[in-house]
Amino acid sequence: MNLIDISLEILSNTFLVLGLIFVFLGMLGLVRLPDVYNRLHTTTKIGTLGAFGVMMSILLKVGFSPIGVKAITVGLFLLLTSPIAAHMIGRAAYRHGVCLCKESVIDEYEKACALNNKE
Amino acid sequence: MISMLTLSLTFMVLAIIPCIYRIIKGPTIPDRVIALDAMTTVIVVMLGIYSFDQSSVFFMDVALVLSIIAFVGTVTIAKYLDEGVVL
Repeated sequence: MNLIDISLEILSNTFLVLGLIFVFLGMLGLVRLPDVYNRLHTTTKIGTLGAFGVMMSILLKVGFSPIGVKAITVGLFLLLTSPIAAHMIGRAAYRHGVCLCKESVIDEYEKACALNNKE
Repeated sequence: MISMLTLSLTFMVLAIIPCIYRIIKGPTIPDRVIALDAMTTVIVVMLGIYSFDQSSVFFMDVALVLSIIAFVGTVTIAKYLDEGVVL
């Protein structure tokens, strides 16, 4: 086992642990945070950084074999589509009438909607 | 010696429990949609790790299709909540 193999193994395990840490933080936020928008902000991190970290780790473990190429395809797809889905569901939640939590200090989208309706 | 992949698979299975809690308890509809989206992402990651563990390429196809279906489903429910119609 030469130096390149060892360093690839260490890098791959680092990405795996990073992905697992982000999944753990996302689940913690999903249980603990008070609001739809706060929970949305936390769970999007699972889709982007958590999934991409684990898929990058699989790519580093197997190289450019079919498993590795499909893994990085899934990772890039999640990295592109997860923020779009989060943005759409957040806007739909606001327009559907879900209130912000009572600790919120500013609501800029309300002002933007009022300005848009006035014109 | 437990391998790193077995540990991460166990962790992912445990990570589904908060999602189910939020789906059952969640006060509003967007809460449930967010929890379902997060659960699907966790299942996709699980399928990826399992595909490497079994060294079979077919589980990765399942992961790709499941992520596409999750995206389309979330966008559809968001559009339904926003405008009241799907198409």
